[in-house]
Amino acid sequence: MSAFVNAYTLTSALGNGIGALRKALRSGRSGLTDAPWPGSDVPCFLGRVDVPPDLSLPAMWHSRNNALVELALRQDAFAEAVDDIRHNLQPERIGLAMGTSTSSIDRTEQAYRRLDADGRFAAEFRQSGVHNPHAPAHFAAQRLKIGGPCVTVSAACASGAKAFAMAKRWLDQNLVDAVVVGAADSLCLSVIYGFHALQLVSPQPCRPFAANRQGISLGEAAGFALLTRERSADARELLGVGESCDAYHMSSAHPDGLGARLAIEAALADAKRGMADVDYVNLHGTGTRANDDIEGRVCGSLLAASRALASATKGWTGHALGAAGMVEAILCLDALATGFVPGTRNTACVDAPFELLLDNVEQRLETVLSNSFGFGGTNCTLVFGR
Amino acid sequence: MKITLTGIGLWARGLTSLAGFAAASRDGFAALSEAQFEPPKPIAIPSRERRRAGLAINLGVEVAHQACDVSGIDKSSVASVFVSALGDTATTDYMCRKLSGADKLLSPTKFHNSVHNAPACYWAISADNRAPNTFVGGFLESLGAGLFEASSQAIGADAPVLLVAYDLATAPPLDEVAAIGDTLAVAFVIEPTRQAQLRQTSLAVDAKLRFVGNAVPATAPRAAALARLAATNPMGGGLALVERCVAECAKGDESGESVLRFPAGSQAHVELRLESTR
Repeated sequence: MSAFVNAYTLTSALGNGIGALRKALRSGRSGLTDAPWPGSDVPCFLGRVDVPPDLSLPAMWHSRNNALVELALRQDAFAEAVDDIRHNLQPERIGLAMGTSTSSIDRTEQAYRRLDADGRFAAEFRQSGVHNPHAPAHFAAQRLKIGGPCVTVSAACASGAKAFAMAKRWLDQNLVDAVVVGAADSLCLSVIYGFHALQLVSPQPCRPFAANRQGISLGEAAGFALLTRERSADARELLGVGESCDAYHMSSAHPDGLGARLAIEAALADAKRGMADVDYVNLHGTGTRANDDIEGRVCGSLLAASRALASATKGWTGHALGAAGMVEAILCLDALATGFVPGTRNTACVDAPFELLLDNVEQRLETVLSNSFGFGGTNCTLVFGR
Repeated sequence: MKITLTGIGLWARGLTSLAGFAAASRDGFAALSEAQFEPPKPIAIPSRERRRAGLAINLGVEVAHQACDVSGIDKSSVASVFVSALGDTATTDYMCRKLSGADKLLSPTKFHNSVHNAPACYWAISADNRAPNTFVGGFLESLGAGLFEASSQAIGADAPVLLVAYDLATAPPLDEVAAIGDTLAVAFVIEPTRQAQLRQTSLAVDAKLRFVGNAVPATAPRAAALARLAATNPMGGGLALVERCVAECAKGDESGESVLRFPAGSQAHVELRLESTR
């Protein structure tokens, strides 16, 4: 069975929509800035999205995360592409698979700062549909009039990739005819202070796989892709997905990268490809000492038998956590579409047992692979092809 | 999707195992109205992780092991789907309170436990299980979403999948989001029917699951006392499913079917048609 990506859009620190993304990458402009985040005194660089205040969201949906979803849906005529497909299909045959880890916790944080005298949410924050893990899917489903299965996957930093895996299962089994795959995660104090507590936030723009890397730079993003079993004229194919768990530790990866290797191997097997067929690998590459060390060793042995380019792109966008899998899937899809391969922004002195692509290059790609690894040792690898 | 339920685990006030549930069903769950909630002891979790685990984690791990024990499947290789309407609200409350104050420094343990897949991770560690696991959500329609996702994984991989569904009782201010009166966790081992037929199991309830594009209320348990408990928690429909499975088993070779419906999205539901027992 085949799953084809017919349309996609991304709103991230590199701009709103695919045109802005291409422009930023080609001009070498990273989305990371050190502008302070309201309420935070953690020294860091962030990959933030300029969210306009006038998006006219209904009051029941107000949150930064939902505003990101709305902003993303307005780019690249994505909502119109979903409208088009709806004319030809039964409503219950179009599903929504949404990855998120933060959901609208930004709004819940705000509600806690403004509790009333009885310790309850003030009236404007009584938005039951917003303060729960399913919020962005719930919002996007009503925005896009989705009548089929609507499921959120919240598996930390693998969420966005795992949403593609879920969509591929639904299409493979003919449970739906089309799936909107989405992901949205937004900057908030929970993630800034959370990663700060784990001493993983870099005071500098993150430098994946650099000898002098100091940790992650957090980011935010929302992105969507429209998948069907039918190939449209310029569709790319989701060839394979692989998932695994380290079963090792909540916030430390397995020291030998056992789970990461299982996910990569499973994705290649699902795609009926070998590492020798892969032209480009988008690494998880967070910029922490441990992640890059372990991923480097796993990919070092895999890339030894391969001619694939490999880069880590979080120096451009920041680590968008639950949306990172979507950000990097779209960078891969757009690299397949344009032959423009992004390099590893911010990294100069490489500490990796394979050749890391530092500068952007132009090269026609046939098959690409993207890694996403998350807290809880959850791993997901995607393989896309022309 | 043709599936077979071969394992059940559960934890709520007065109901702490499938055997206990079956026993309580014989007198219409008479003791349930007086029963108090007692948290499960985290015996399955290795000691290094145990001290870091909170109630949501302990509940999920407990019912996961119960369901696998009933089913007899290999705990180290079964894939799993965890599902919850609100997730670990105790940790959400800690995080948001701390971040609304002057001292925002968080406990690293509480932060890493705040990811919704934390119970799935602790389960994986406790079972030395490197199979895929995930957390899915559908807010108040989470049970339908979980049944759908777990069944499609089972059919897709042609292998058993463990579904773990839980929600904690809520306290102010998060009871504004959903007033959950009782903590409840249920777990099911879901297998493709043609796989389940290859081995002898103490529990085997065949079912056809399909996604239907119209809205219906969730099926409630038949026993009044059980229905009262179920109504207090978004996962309460799981108790109706356990009740029907126990009833199907008691019927022996009698034919007949029992249909359960669980909302899955605002305009759709998952229909589960229990067909017969073997």
